[in-house]
Amino acid sequence: MAELSAAQRAASVATPRPRARLRENQVAWLLITPTIIILVALSVYPLIWSGAMAFRVENLFNPKIGKWVGFRNFDFLLFNDDTFWKTIWLTFVWCAVVVSVQLVLGFLLALLMDTTMRAVGVLRTLLVIPVFISPVAMGLTWRFMFEPVSGVINYLITSVGFDRGAWHTATDTALVAVMIAEIWQWTPFVTLIMLAGMQGISPEVIEAARLDRVRGWTYLQRIVIPLIWPVITVVILLRVVDSMRIFDLIYVITRGGPGTATLLASVNTYSIFQSGRLGVMAAYGFLIVILINIVVFAFLRVLYRQEKASRRRAPARA
Amino acid sequence: MRSPLRRAFDVAAVFIVALYLAPIYWVVLTSIKPTIAINSAKPVWSFEPTWEHYREAFVRFEFDRALLNSAIIVLSATFITMVLALFSSYALARMKIKGADFMSLTILSLRFMPGVVIAMPFFLMFQRLDMIDTHVGMIIIYVGFGLPFAVWLLRGFMMDIPRDVEEAARLDGLGWISIIWRIILPMSGPGIAVTAIFTFVFDWNEFLFALYITQATAVTLPIQISKMIDLYNVLWGTISGAVVMQLVPMVIVVFLLQRHMIRGLALGAVK
Repeated sequence: MAELSAAQRAASVATPRPRARLRENQVAWLLITPTIIILVALSVYPLIWSGAMAFRVENLFNPKIGKWVGFRNFDFLLFNDDTFWKTIWLTFVWCAVVVSVQLVLGFLLALLMDTTMRAVGVLRTLLVIPVFISPVAMGLTWRFMFEPVSGVINYLITSVGFDRGAWHTATDTALVAVMIAEIWQWTPFVTLIMLAGMQGISPEVIEAARLDRVRGWTYLQRIVIPLIWPVITVVILLRVVDSMRIFDLIYVITRGGPGTATLLASVNTYSIFQSGRLGVMAAYGFLIVILINIVVFAFLRVLYRQEKASRRRAPARA
Repeated sequence: MRSPLRRAFDVAAVFIVALYLAPIYWVVLTSIKPTIAINSAKPVWSFEPTWEHYREAFVRFEFDRALLNSAIIVLSATFITMVLALFSSYALARMKIKGADFMSLTILSLRFMPGVVIAMPFFLMFQRLDMIDTHVGMIIIYVGFGLPFAVWLLRGFMMDIPRDVEEAARLDGLGWISIIWRIILPMSGPGIAVTAIFTFVFDWNEFLFALYITQATAVTLPIQISKMIDLYNVLWGTISGAVVMQLVPMVIVVFLLQRHMIRGLALGAVK
């Protein structure tokens, strides 16, 4: 850093404001433009392409037959394709079950870990490991454990007296098997974020609640849940969106099978891709994006209202 | 002052966390078990540990190439993502720019886009550009895939840097480049490290785009592992070895991130 003369210093301070602002603005755009160009080229443009494809007949294996067909792909999916509604239904069931179980388990686990014990840092670090491991790796591990004949899960449940299950290989249990794997992998995420919220509650509030003998369920309902509500909102939102997009875990465990037992929307798009009907696939993707947006929007509204309500319920002291 | 009940809960917490990781112990254990012990209907607990499955993964399933591909693609993509994110997140966090918040949120919203929707246009685009199954193609996709999250996270870290240092530097006549290079870069060290690690994690574990775009030469680890089960779904030992090799870097990453992981996982909503 060169030493500046008093005159230079004065000059730099005295630079007319509008000019300085303009320059800063220009520099900012210069810094940000590469990112914008890349995001437009790699996200927005493909999205628009996909949107346009939804109104065309396009075949992966025979590019020559491409033509515009208006809403025919949507018409087919919405009114003539039973698989479509089945996959949407499965995606909803998946999302509702997986996220609510994760929330309950995650909350309980967070309560258990919200302690002054010294080892809690280590426990937290260990617990989060599943979140960072690829769904492919964990999916295969679960698939191996679920194996009907040699799998360790059947061994364990038969040794305590239950019948062996066919898990991912049977139509009635496949969805449950995949759900278990997903719940196992992402519950720590819920736990960790809720735990961070709980540890952010100020000691005075906890002390005041203790003095007022607010305990047990009342303590959770009146103090903990309202205070960590913003954190819970974030968790629900992230989990809902990410669980609706699930692909790799299901792909490696069941491929959507047996039959259509685990054929969630995103897995089905891949099988449509493999069949080569790109127009239908694009229309499908289009509908999924709309659906996710509706769900996210609805959730945000509900959560926002509840947050307001829970603020009113919270004791004045908190 | 811990009550006996709390103490019982603490013990329970330790047990539950230890038990929770059982699937990971199991896959590690399987990867060093002899094949006969793996296929036994009753779990075998005493066995001679073997490295056979790891060797097999390399010899029979070209694991070395997948490992190298993943390393090249993920490291390059992470580096490029970080350079772009560094500049743009600084501009969004610190400079006077119209609609910076709106722009940041729009960039973040791209993180929620379902991959299935843009994977197919990528396939067609790359087909025309002759970039299917190339490293460059995969790097480009991963830059686009990781950038929204990286910009958002790094922006959050940069907003935490005190402004006065920067102001002082400006008064000393430092230009923008020197401010970024000499002030922001060193001061946001942890933020850059955390963002880079998260970007690395997402790219390393990414499956969907790789499934669409790679075929043979640019195949990444997750794809190679899933191919193993398509070909021979009884080779659980070798598959376990491959799975362990894919997940070991992630376990290391968890220990590197420590207290920063919550911030990254919750998109900066919880610090």
